[in-house]
Amino acid sequence: MLFHTWPFLLFMGVVLPVYFALRRTKLWIPWLMAASYFFYGWWNPWYLILVVYSTALDYLLVTLMDHCPRGGAGDSSEAGAATPTDASPGRILAYGRVKPTLMDRLLRLRFEDSVLKAAYLVSGALALAVIVIAFIGPETLRPAMIALAVLVSLMALGSVLGSRRVWLLISIFNNLAILLFFKYARFVVENLNGVLDWMGASVQLADPSTLMPYGFEYVLPVGISFFTFQSMSYTIDFYLGKVGRERNFLRFATFVCFFPQLMAGPIERAKHLLPQFQSPPPFRLRNLTDGLSLFLVGLFKKLALANYLSLYVERIYENPRAYGAPALILATFAFAWQIFFDFSGYTDMARGVAKMMGFNLILNFNNPYLATGLGEFWSRWHISLSTWFRDYVYIPLGGNRRGTLATYRNLFITFLISGIWHGANWTFAIWGILHAVGVMLTRELERSAAYRERVPRVVKQAGVFAYVCFAWIFFRAASLSDAMLIVRRIFSAGWENPQIPAMMLALVGLIWIYEFLFESRLRGLLAYGAVRVSLAVFMVLYLCVCASGGGAFIYFQF
Amino acid sequence: MSQPAIDNLAAASPGTPAAPAGEPPFGMTEMRLTARQWLITAAIVAVILLLTPRFWKKVERFDTGPDYRIPYALSKDYWLYQRRLEQIDDPARVIVIGDSVVWGEYVEPTGTLSHFLNREVGRADAFANCGVNGLFPLALEGLVENYAGSLRHRKIILHCNVLWMTSPKADLRIEKEESFNHSRLVPQFTPRIPCYRADASERLSAIIERHVDFYAWTGHLQNTYFDQRSIPAWTLKDDGGSPPQRPNAWRNPLGQITLVVPGEASDDPLRGPRSPRHRPWNEGGAEPARFDWVPLDDSLQWRAFQRAVGDLRGRGNEVMVVVGPFNEHMIAPQQRPTYRNMRQGIADWLAREKIAHVLPETLPASLYADASHPLTDGYELLAKGIARDARFRKWMNGNSAAGPR
Repeated sequence: MLFHTWPFLLFMGVVLPVYFALRRTKLWIPWLMAASYFFYGWWNPWYLILVVYSTALDYLLVTLMDHCPRGGAGDSSEAGAATPTDASPGRILAYGRVKPTLMDRLLRLRFEDSVLKAAYLVSGALALAVIVIAFIGPETLRPAMIALAVLVSLMALGSVLGSRRVWLLISIFNNLAILLFFKYARFVVENLNGVLDWMGASVQLADPSTLMPYGFEYVLPVGISFFTFQSMSYTIDFYLGKVGRERNFLRFATFVCFFPQLMAGPIERAKHLLPQFQSPPPFRLRNLTDGLSLFLVGLFKKLALANYLSLYVERIYENPRAYGAPALILATFAFAWQIFFDFSGYTDMARGVAKMMGFNLILNFNNPYLATGLGEFWSRWHISLSTWFRDYVYIPLGGNRRGTLATYRNLFITFLISGIWHGANWTFAIWGILHAVGVMLTRELERSAAYRERVPRVVKQAGVFAYVCFAWIFFRAASLSDAMLIVRRIFSAGWENPQIPAMMLALVGLIWIYEFLFESRLRGLLAYGAVRVSLAVFMVLYLCVCASGGGAFIYFQF
Repeated sequence: MSQPAIDNLAAASPGTPAAPAGEPPFGMTEMRLTARQWLITAAIVAVILLLTPRFWKKVERFDTGPDYRIPYALSKDYWLYQRRLEQIDDPARVIVIGDSVVWGEYVEPTGTLSHFLNREVGRADAFANCGVNGLFPLALEGLVENYAGSLRHRKIILHCNVLWMTSPKADLRIEKEESFNHSRLVPQFTPRIPCYRADASERLSAIIERHVDFYAWTGHLQNTYFDQRSIPAWTLKDDGGSPPQRPNAWRNPLGQITLVVPGEASDDPLRGPRSPRHRPWNEGGAEPARFDWVPLDDSLQWRAFQRAVGDLRGRGNEVMVVVGPFNEHMIAPQQRPTYRNMRQGIADWLAREKIAHVLPETLPASLYADASHPLTDGYELLAKGIARDARFRKWMNGNSAAGPR
């Protein structure tokens, strides 16, 4: 379901009043969960299975993790704490003070914790059952059953080892496996087949769609990268001791699938969002008006701006060979604004909807095109994703603690993964690399006092914007060869009339001016009631007269 | 991400608005309206939405004459259609409603059924052509229900075209998705139209458009001044070349709004006796064809037609139905009895419901352009036939045996 469609308005017309009515009962969390599942299932009810599965497994894994001693076998996160006296009583393996070997654990099968024992028995039995089904059941189920058998076998092993780290690894393995299968399998298979072909091998790998049971369509589930990252962050944070265990499954499920941010973020952290589900937020008129304000701005960005810009961008990027340099430059410029309006518009609407119900989602965009460095750009663009990569990739890799070269290596890896996260295409990888290079360059420039102090702010902003636009070429182009063609043509093709509508330029120009004012000393002008009301009236009327619906959000594909 | 990025995140960026403790910053704009400001906004918007369409009717010139018909390009301008009906305020005028047979697909405005009926009764404006090109009964029902509210206690001639029952596809009852004209007028949810596969959002927006005058007016703006496009899409309209030329890119959209509803082109190359399309159907050697007739009891279109008649009569209108005449020459001889049975079935229902009706005789083959559209001479003959019919004269004189319910 899309925020800017009439069914969503109807959906909110039902969800919001019932939510307010249920706030004083125990049903408010089940209601939010049911609404969220309905919201997701509207797109394709079958893929709800994936959300529920991912949620249930992470809930279970964290529960099992909670039954393992901190500093248990293989748990190096708390190295040196592997003595029974350090862990809570009743949850430790009675191996005495001598740390048992892995073989010892596997052969002796002694469980002090009944939950781990039950997990071992159930997962062992399940593994057997799944293997039997894989071999004697319908052939169409075989790939899924084999994958499940691997997973439950790992769980049985984890129960024996009683290690928090094993549960964490299973969670990461499971979430990444889902993501890899649905998002990257075809890309990997195509590339491997290309290599095999080049080597003259006669074998070819089968398309991943052949692994789908009962001929289900192999499509990328909407928002898969968002809910898997959110769920995974919870297990990692629990492992690291940053959040407590959420014992209520419904509450945890609501955290993972909370409908305002389920499809395209912001990727919330358990530490921030889960506590908000502990008790119903009080009803405040201010929440409602703030939520409406955010929603209107988001709706305007999506329908009036992003959709309009996309009309210009699509035609040029579909056939870049037919256009001259000015059109290609302006289409790239337009795409920079299109993706910003599209994604930040979605986030504004998501935050607005959550706010109406009294929940606070984090700020995901903060006028990124006013950044004066690439590093700053990433602190303003898709903040929830960049902080996710910072916390779970960049810092674990060593961050900036091991010297300049290691820092740049870590930046490179982080941005490369971030690029690939956006899509299974070499263009996204290049885009990520370009940003890594950009961050390194601006970082080096910022070391120089001359650059810091003498280059005017607006020049830095223009430079960053131009570089970001250049990187967007690779993000938007259908293929690497298209991207290279566009870059070549920008520098070599003729200068003909780009025929970009004046109205489009005027709208983008006005938004830019608004952003500059917002970050200037004149910001107070924008806060006048008359200005706010005039802009709100303009937005509503523009939406009524000019905007036509349709068009999914770009970030849904990620 | 990079260390500066982390530092910047930790210490909010210059533009980050202040937020209460524990709450993330509000957003990246100052668009944070209070309840009072929202009320003022809502009031201003409501006034504009309510008054604009009314005001527009006063300032926009809409010239119509005795043989006026809604121009082909404005066929989907339902707001204009509604305005057209409201404009015909003389209760003595008979409104002729129907699809392109009434509108006159192959003929000029002076070659239509209403024109020749006017001639028969000796008045230039006794019959008003309120046909809509591309209409069919399922859309007619929506048109009557939502845009013909001004028709009360009037005399209305409704044309019934059996063309829409000649195949399951024409009846819109096939399961395969089909795109068709006037989809925004058809029933969006019930009764279900199998080949109509619009998503829920599109269906809901069609329903909202029918009930919120402002949206219908927006459609009028787009139809009348912006080539049936939204204003942003109009600025990007291209000529289809490679690379395309966009003549509107630097034009002022507001300059397009001339406040005059364009009329039909005086010399339409596609219509009238001089048009290459204005030829008998069999001139090119076309042979009679077999049709996969849909039985009346199963027909979605026929049921929609029945509901439309009921709706019009429910508003106190005196309705007279003209059935066909379908081009019987085009039907394979062995199928003609099927067609006649169907036509009789329609007549029987109309008689049972005490609805005045005329079943004109089939015209000569050379007076049809296709299965259902007469040529100019065909309309003239048809009008003469209708005018001679005793039931028609009786109905015109207000002594219809089948008066309004």
